[in-house]
Amino acid sequence: MKNKMSIMVVDDESIVRESLYHWFAKSGHTVDTAASGFEALEKLEQFPFDILFVDIKMPGMDGIELLQKVKSEYPDTIVIIITAYGSIESAIKAMKTGASDYLLKPFKPDYLSLVLEKVTQQQRLTAEYNYLKGHIERITRFDNIIGESRPMQEIFDIIPDIAVSDASVLLTGETGTGKELIARAIHAKSPRVHYPFIAINCGAVPDSLLESELFGHVKGAFTDAAYSRKGFLEVVDGGTLFLDEVGEISPKMQIDLLRVLQEKKITRIGSSESVDVNFRLVSATRRNVEEAIEQGDFREDFYYRVNVIQVHVPPLRERIGDMGLLVDHFLLKYSQETAKRVDCVSDETLKCLKKYAWPGNVRELENAIERAVVLARSRTLTVADFGFLSPPARPVRGAHTLKEMERAHILETLEDCGWNITRASGVLGINRVTLHKKIDRYGLRAHKK
Amino acid sequence: MTRSGCIGVVPIGAIPHVVPQVIAAHITGYLNLKATVLKPLRNPLYALDERRLQFDAGTILETLESRPFERVDKIIGVLNIDLFLPIFTHVFGEARQHGRVALVSLARLAEEPSEKPQLSPTTLERVVKVALHELGHLYGLTHCENDPCLMHFSGSLEELDRTPLNLCRYCTRYFQDETGGPDHFSEAP
Repeated sequence: MKNKMSIMVVDDESIVRESLYHWFAKSGHTVDTAASGFEALEKLEQFPFDILFVDIKMPGMDGIELLQKVKSEYPDTIVIIITAYGSIESAIKAMKTGASDYLLKPFKPDYLSLVLEKVTQQQRLTAEYNYLKGHIERITRFDNIIGESRPMQEIFDIIPDIAVSDASVLLTGETGTGKELIARAIHAKSPRVHYPFIAINCGAVPDSLLESELFGHVKGAFTDAAYSRKGFLEVVDGGTLFLDEVGEISPKMQIDLLRVLQEKKITRIGSSESVDVNFRLVSATRRNVEEAIEQGDFREDFYYRVNVIQVHVPPLRERIGDMGLLVDHFLLKYSQETAKRVDCVSDETLKCLKKYAWPGNVRELENAIERAVVLARSRTLTVADFGFLSPPARPVRGAHTLKEMERAHILETLEDCGWNITRASGVLGINRVTLHKKIDRYGLRAHKK
Repeated sequence: MTRSGCIGVVPIGAIPHVVPQVIAAHITGYLNLKATVLKPLRNPLYALDERRLQFDAGTILETLESRPFERVDKIIGVLNIDLFLPIFTHVFGEARQHGRVALVSLARLAEEPSEKPQLSPTTLERVVKVALHELGHLYGLTHCENDPCLMHFSGSLEELDRTPLNLCRYCTRYFQDETGGPDHFSEAP
């Protein structure tokens, strides 16, 4: 038997109670009756009924009063009001008070069946919603950020306080330290958790495209604008916007964003009408913003607007105590993903991993463990499995000028990072665009293996 | 071989004699129970609600429940009057779980309602379905969620026409337990 409910019929007329009692019993539901609101409340204390069918006119406690008490004490219990023709206003009042539906008596048997089906479906959806909400909270809570070192514990302690405020947050730290994870944790702990979290890597999107991505456009706003499109600032409505590499935003775009942050309004490209927006801004940068301000790359007013609360995410070398936890976490993750039985790293390997500088931070560690697990031939990872992390130093013969030294250093870093531009740019402390320019200028090419 | 027990089909008021006979035949054919047509009774004027101009099915049931019917275990009363329950606008038939008497009315089942109903095959099939469905309740069966089952609730004639005369395998099993015997009888595929 599926979808069988526990139902209580509350009516002072015995004939109505009996009719409904027998009708529900024939459908296999668990049924009870109460002749008054007081009796209904007494029975509710003993048994948590799914649905109450309540007559609106009863002596003593009327249906509306019972409905109010039920909704305050048993909010999950569905209440359906039964009313006569002519008391529609009471029925409307009941709906406003929290009744799920109302029935005008006498009603067709199939209508009662439909109402029951509707509330059953509603209850199922509510249960499903609560389950999924809990599931989302489980998978987005910040304990999926690994770390027991003091700097990380300090961050964990501060996240709940930051989350409840609506102030802009600037996350600083080297590339690969987990700034986006912290941003997601702030969102997950905030009242905005059930609204979108949208992350944009400003360093990866050209300025012209970024404007359209953020602000949206109307049809015909530019050559390729074949249709109107909402920007992320509208789509994020109610949620959190995460601007990664905010230091790469052009000064012009900084002015536009500053205006949005001040006015909470945007205008789509090509439109003259402004639209209200509602979002919380979390930004991140690996640059030294104070230096960027001095160099004129970062507007001071924009900086103060995005930097209401600053959180510094430490590089891996400053939280080397977390290495064991992180290694175990990534080992488990990738041994499961690749279905390979790789259980641990040797003590010697762990020591070596702790000594390594990890310029690409946790991301580099994760990639290293993934690669080691994929290529592993035994259940325990050894130093040899991480040989790719410490290539022999290549002497730079005959390199005398600064340019030659720079070229050699960039080439070495690129090869160390497997020509991963993002990682190499992080190690070198320059942005990807600059790295690409230098690669072109020096004519650097990856060696084919 | 039919099971023990016998169902009495009693015409109430002016009912074409073929109707109770067809119901009795289907009870035996589909549910494998003995069935016999009893002497007709008068229209239950005591149950007339003058305000609604309908007959209270609950009152009729109670009256028939208190009346002795010899040599039958359960009764199906067949009427041609508009039945209602106080909370509902109408009912096609009525029975109470594990009760002794069930009712079925032709009044809303005919393709063209009239005092002397035209008994088309469709009307007869509807009457039989309601009668067997209500009889199921007398043996403790509840409404079934399977669409292709006699015990599925039909709120409209369209739904009733889609409902089969057979019980689904679960209701069949329950019915067998209640009537006491794993005899063969018609089961929905």
